[in-house]
Amino acid sequence: MITLSSVRGWNDRGRRLSALVGLALLGVVAACGTSSTPTAKPSAAADASSCTSTTVLSATCDITTPSAVTLTGAGANSIEPFFETVFYEYSQKDPKTTVTYSPAGSSVGVTDIQQATVDFGDSEIPMTSAQLAAATGGTILQIPVDLGGVAISYNAAGVPANLKLNGPTLAGIFDGTITNWDSPQIATVSGVSDLPNLPIKPVHRADASGPGYDLDQYLIDTSPAWVSAIATSTSSRTWPLATVGVGEQLNTGVATYISQTSGSIGFVEYGYALQNGFVNAALLNAAGSYVAPTEQSIALAGAQATSVSATDFNVVNEPGSGTYPIANFSWTLVYQKQADTTTGIALGKLLDWVVTSGQQDAEALGYAPLPANVASLAQTTIRELESSAGTPLFTS
Amino acid sequence: MIPDAALRLPPRAGGQASRVRRAVLRNRGRAGERAYTALRWVGAGLFGAVVVALLLSIAGDSGQALLHSGIGFLWSGTWNPAAGQYGAGILVVGTLLTTAVAMVIVVPIGLGTAAFLSELAPRWLAAPLSTLIGLLAAVASIVVGLWGLIVLTPIFANQVEPFLASMPVLGWLFRGEAYGPSVLLASVVLAVMTLPTMVALSRTALAGVPVADREAALALGATRWQAVRRAVIPAARSGIQAAVTLAIGRAMGESIAVAMVIGNRPAIPASLTAPGATLGSAIVNQFAEATPGIGTSSVIALGAVLLLLTVAVNAGGQALLRRGRAIPVSTAGALR
Repeated sequence: MITLSSVRGWNDRGRRLSALVGLALLGVVAACGTSSTPTAKPSAAADASSCTSTTVLSATCDITTPSAVTLTGAGANSIEPFFETVFYEYSQKDPKTTVTYSPAGSSVGVTDIQQATVDFGDSEIPMTSAQLAAATGGTILQIPVDLGGVAISYNAAGVPANLKLNGPTLAGIFDGTITNWDSPQIATVSGVSDLPNLPIKPVHRADASGPGYDLDQYLIDTSPAWVSAIATSTSSRTWPLATVGVGEQLNTGVATYISQTSGSIGFVEYGYALQNGFVNAALLNAAGSYVAPTEQSIALAGAQATSVSATDFNVVNEPGSGTYPIANFSWTLVYQKQADTTTGIALGKLLDWVVTSGQQDAEALGYAPLPANVASLAQTTIRELESSAGTPLFTS
Repeated sequence: MIPDAALRLPPRAGGQASRVRRAVLRNRGRAGERAYTALRWVGAGLFGAVVVALLLSIAGDSGQALLHSGIGFLWSGTWNPAAGQYGAGILVVGTLLTTAVAMVIVVPIGLGTAAFLSELAPRWLAAPLSTLIGLLAAVASIVVGLWGLIVLTPIFANQVEPFLASMPVLGWLFRGEAYGPSVLLASVVLAVMTLPTMVALSRTALAGVPVADREAALALGATRWQAVRRAVIPAARSGIQAAVTLAIGRAMGESIAVAMVIGNRPAIPASLTAPGATLGSAIVNQFAEATPGIGTSSVIALGAVLLLLTVAVNAGGQALLRRGRAIPVSTAGALR
């Protein structure tokens, strides 16, 4: 198949050539006598193998952008493994677009897009209405781009993998009431009787984080002791009990601490746990099963979310027997009105590619592909991108 | 410009020297002098204006937090942004503690190294060694923080801290669970970062002591160590004081490296091996997330508190040292 990226300067000759190829293929198919449904007319066959339109979003058209452009983004640390791979693949397919992403944290992404210092931001938690109101460039579109989970990883010799833990036990670990791995409460819940005599060293995020928000939400939903320990029932991006254990910056800091400290337990994005080969806990979900984080159990959490939007984004503690209880979508933030049409088109094409073709990379990296309804929400939202004059950038 | 006639110059002879002489005599250097004076005033004024603008901006932005929390912000014991509680007291304690321990480590080692380099080291050793120490100053603080996180933390958690806790008398200072990231580790990282400053400035101070002082001590029968300790170091006192002041200033303000190795626990550390938090580390962790308004203002107020603390510590230290000086300093005091 002709790769679009290797052909420069589309013109009528190119179109005619691919039309001929398409016709020839059709002829071969017809001659073989297969009863495949007659595909489209020559012009549509031409679109199937070549796309020259910069205003159409589709699997083949997503890599056709008007001119060379560099897109800058900043935001969540948790989505970095996924973004790193898909952005690289996209730039291989469309060499005109270069993407740089700075995984400094969801809060930085939100602040940067508010001040329009980047082309796109990314946040594990969608922006609140107050944050949206503070945006300097107008309306912000929030596009779900992937589905990830939060793993409870630990490093304790003698503790078996996928240790069963429930909300109250986890709350006890993170609020300092449980101080040793051989505590009777852990033994009862996990069903393991010969846990080692090893002090527990909990590690949390010192900076604001999506995984911290999700774990806080899970503990609030499942443990009344946690609610009274933090004196609130609203989850917060900043870890509420910073006086217990140790705080490290970003997923990488937490992962470094867990990998080098015996007895430690902490929360990281599942993609990082996979990369580091961590041992993870199996958490009690709403249906009463203990589920370990895998791409499939995270996907099941997303599948439960029948009506997802930027205001209704919570997929923590979802029902379903195989569902992993701590999952969340990652939301890319872009301005609806794009000042520069070329940048806007490149942005739309990139994001459309990420939420369609790019989802194939998700599983290998520890994320789950977007469920169908969320993917279509993403695609609909991308098509709301406008030029500075208010005309939609994409015709379909 | 003064015409030749008024200067009563001799008729124009040839030569470069007479051309220069005529040029100097013509202007009497006034224009150059005026320009130079103006440049000095502009430079000083610009610098002063920038400093004043910075201070005013910090004061203005932190006003909202101070109004909200009252003056109690300075010593309030709870720093919990998740619950909307902003109090700098614990962070001030953490800052002072880490700086103090870092100075306990770096002042003897830095002064000793400087004395060694300037007094006792053979020349073939002194030059490369001081170059190496100078290179340490060139390492970015985040790199030192990364090194502390990746290399030092496991060593501290598994070997150093348990060993220190097991010591007979001093072990009490290091009691408790060895997490790794702790006040002690942060102090060690700060000591590594401030060592080049301490060594370089102390060495300059020691080198500024007149040879006569050393020779006099040696002539009276002192050993080399006694001469250094009794004659050279006291004479270099004000230079060493300047070195310590700069080291303290750097240690108090260091934020990113400390945030990576201190464990970020906003509570009074139970011992030196417990995690803690400083003003700098709290600013690093909180600034991106701070909600506009009270959150951002509180973080900037932390910066204001840090500024005031640094000034107070420097002023207090200098006052103490001035009072402690019994004998007037010799010409080495000209370093001031």
